[in-house]
Amino acid sequence: MSHMAAPPFAPSAEGRALAGVCAGIARTLGVDPTLVRLVFAVLALAGGAGVALYLALWAHAKVGRPVLTALLGLAAGSLLLLAVGLGGSAVVGIALVVGGLALALRRGGSFRPDAPISYGGVALAAVGAVLLLPGGDGPTTVVAPGAVIGTLVLIAGPMLWRLALDRDAERAARFRSEERAEVASRVHDSVLQTLALIQRHASEPQRVAALARRQERDLRGWLYGDRPLGDDGASLEAALSAAAADVEELHGVRVELASAGDCAVDEAVHAVLLAAREAMTNAAKFAQVGVIDVYAEATEDEVAVFVRDRGAGFDRAAVPADRRGLLESIERRLERAGGRAAIVSAPGEGTEVELRLPRSAA
Amino acid sequence: MKTRVVVVDDHTLFLAGVRAELGDAVDVVGEAGSVAEAVPLIKELDPDVVLLDVHLPDGSGDAVIARVAPERPGVRFLALSVSDAAEDVIAVIRAGARGYVTKTITGEELVDAIRRVGDGDAVFSPRLAGFVLDAFRAGDALGGDAELDELTPREREVLQLIARGYMYKEIAARLHLSVKTVESHVSNVLRKLQLSSRHELTRWATQHRLI
Repeated sequence: MSHMAAPPFAPSAEGRALAGVCAGIARTLGVDPTLVRLVFAVLALAGGAGVALYLALWAHAKVGRPVLTALLGLAAGSLLLLAVGLGGSAVVGIALVVGGLALALRRGGSFRPDAPISYGGVALAAVGAVLLLPGGDGPTTVVAPGAVIGTLVLIAGPMLWRLALDRDAERAARFRSEERAEVASRVHDSVLQTLALIQRHASEPQRVAALARRQERDLRGWLYGDRPLGDDGASLEAALSAAAADVEELHGVRVELASAGDCAVDEAVHAVLLAAREAMTNAAKFAQVGVIDVYAEATEDEVAVFVRDRGAGFDRAAVPADRRGLLESIERRLERAGGRAAIVSAPGEGTEVELRLPRSAA
Repeated sequence: MKTRVVVVDDHTLFLAGVRAELGDAVDVVGEAGSVAEAVPLIKELDPDVVLLDVHLPDGSGDAVIARVAPERPGVRFLALSVSDAAEDVIAVIRAGARGYVTKTITGEELVDAIRRVGDGDAVFSPRLAGFVLDAFRAGDALGGDAELDELTPREREVLQLIARGYMYKEIAARLHLSVKTVESHVSNVLRKLQLSSRHELTRWATQHRLI
């Protein structure tokens, strides 16, 4: 029994009368040994309880045998209870409760919720509690309810506590796994798809760059703009950003997007968006440059989008009919929405498309 | 004489890439990967320009500026980030950075930006111009120094053109100004951004953080 705690006191060889138990206790408590001996003598009168207790302590301290100690301790307690005048079944009940709890405590080391439960000890205590329940004469009616309630609290309390802790942990774990699932599905729908595409097109640097830029925009919008991944219709900036990514991917150009303010997309703003996309596509196809600058500004009075390149430029009067139609479609679209488009260009000086939509018309 | 540059960035891949791109155009005299590393290094080397990542493992770029600037007022900072979070960019500019560029910038543009910052100019990317316009727009000035809390119509015009992708000399041509005047407008905007006591600027940053 090497794991047993050190005895709280050692029998004292010095000034001992019998085994030195009383002297040891007296020294530990710092009282006169005669007083301790007197207590034991009185207890010995109570049906011999003092004698049993003396032997129990001696067994505990000197011999270090816990089972013997427990049995002797129980015997001492029982004798004491009998002497006080409790009925036989009450004594057995209390003995069982105490013994059971002692067993549970020894097994678990404590009554904390994380300690292992000793089912044997708990069962023993429960049987004792049942025996106590019918009550009986005199002192039993006072002692029994207290003993039963104490037992229930000691046994059920830690179990209920542990159940509550488990449920909290379970809820937290479920929340975490739901969150992880959501992130996983978003990443799967966007980032992983893009990575797969990049691997397939590894030999086409322009396409890879465009894919990476598009994904970067997308992810950034989600991380910093609280914009759902893949949801491009949420706002002017989000929709422009998506259109820019499309143009980059299709035509292998870089679109630098800047913005001040943002607004929701209604029908008129949607017209601006379509016109902006067309302007970007035009620039990508005809300007013969690598970079297109797009700036969007949403104020209380106006939504404005500027699409600019430093490319070839053109003379409006000299452009072929098919391209002129495209330009006119930008202008007409804005007019129908209640806005205005201006296309400024000259050969060799690049092109800028200005799209303006008064907010009151929106 | 070549511009002496310290690069502060915790992404080793990016560091290597920047070093390769800058090549011989500037003199990279030191590299650091954290606020704790950067502060003593910059104080010791006293470079012309620090290329500063907005986000570092042990803090943000503005912490580096705050700890270095009082002792080395000659060092100029150019913020560099993949982050689009407007309030982070505005914070590092307000701490004293002379400009902000995104990491997608080409090597050539980066060299140009470093030189301009080294010369004492402000470098506004179109994106930063957009952020600044947005930050200054919210309503009228509430007390404070009205001169600092508002952009003049001309400054606004210059910023809008930067946002639209115009270079300084293109802006000068369009507005019939000299390039020097355009530069001084931009420097004024930078000064206002750094000194303004404007409530809206803080409120704007807070809103952006919340959204």
